[in-house]
Amino acid sequence: MNARTNESWLEDLRTTGPVRDAALDDLHAIVSKGLPYALSRWLSPDDPLFTPLVEEVSQETLLRVLDQLDTFEGRSMFTTWVHKIAIRIALTELRRKRWQDSSLDELVDNEENPAPERLMADPQAGPETSTERADMLTRIRRILDEELTEKQRQALVLLGLQDLPMEEAARIMKTNRNALYKLLHDARLRLKRRLAAEDLNAQEVLSAFESR
Amino acid sequence: MTQPQNDTNQLPDELIENLIRSLEHTEDKECTCDEVYAVVDQYAEAEFRGEDVQRLMPLIKQHMELCHNCCEEYEALLDILEKNDPA
Ligand SMILES: [Zn+2]
Repeated sequence: MNARTNESWLEDLRTTGPVRDAALDDLHAIVSKGLPYALSRWLSPDDPLFTPLVEEVSQETLLRVLDQLDTFEGRSMFTTWVHKIAIRIALTELRRKRWQDSSLDELVDNEENPAPERLMADPQAGPETSTERADMLTRIRRILDEELTEKQRQALVLLGLQDLPMEEAARIMKTNRNALYKLLHDARLRLKRRLAAEDLNAQEVLSAFESR
Repeated sequence: MTQPQNDTNQLPDELIENLIRSLEHTEDKECTCDEVYAVVDQYAEAEFRGEDVQRLMPLIKQHMELCHNCCEEYEALLDILEKNDPA
């Protein structure tokens, strides 16, 4: 396979006939060679799902590349841009697969279900909990009550407690990943400003938490 | 489907701790996931070439500290660049 420049990739993919077919074949080979490197952290190459997933994602990637060709700005190698698209498709699929077995209703409705026991420890309970830590937790919980919106709390629970991927949490909240990030950014900013207004900073809070 | 009860009293200590910890990385202006996606190929190539991405693209680096999903996608891309490299 001869190496193409970014310009020749674009040119070949925009033409018709055998030149375009050859470029698509080459691109398919590049994607299906690269993808296993990216997926091996997620799925064993011996897994029966591995090869079909690589093929399915490679096909979908080619379609999306053709669809988005005009958005390529040439800031990276064309093939890196294509790998980026393949990874987004593959990881979105893998993250969804990871969650499709758990019943959505149960996930959202049963607040106790997914939380490991150690996460649910009552801050006031253990004899090893210092007064300083307990006081700070109470103070922070009050601040969270006052500052966070219902949606921000829901996002924190879904992402931080139930460990959902961004796309899945966004789907449950009927929004998208980008808006969800903004929602959380707003929440963090509000908290940061409130702590500053109370003459606290994150470091102080954390060190109070650590005193057991 | 009933709404989950999101009373803050239910937020476990560890989640609160992680949230407070994330405030140390919180900036007034942050990139969104879409903005990161737009340049992550460029960012991964710069990292692969050994450039100082922290200095070159500080906002992207900052987002990676906070956004697990974007970070995973970036690391996967870096894996491909590194393992595809014949050298
Ligand atoms: Zn992100």
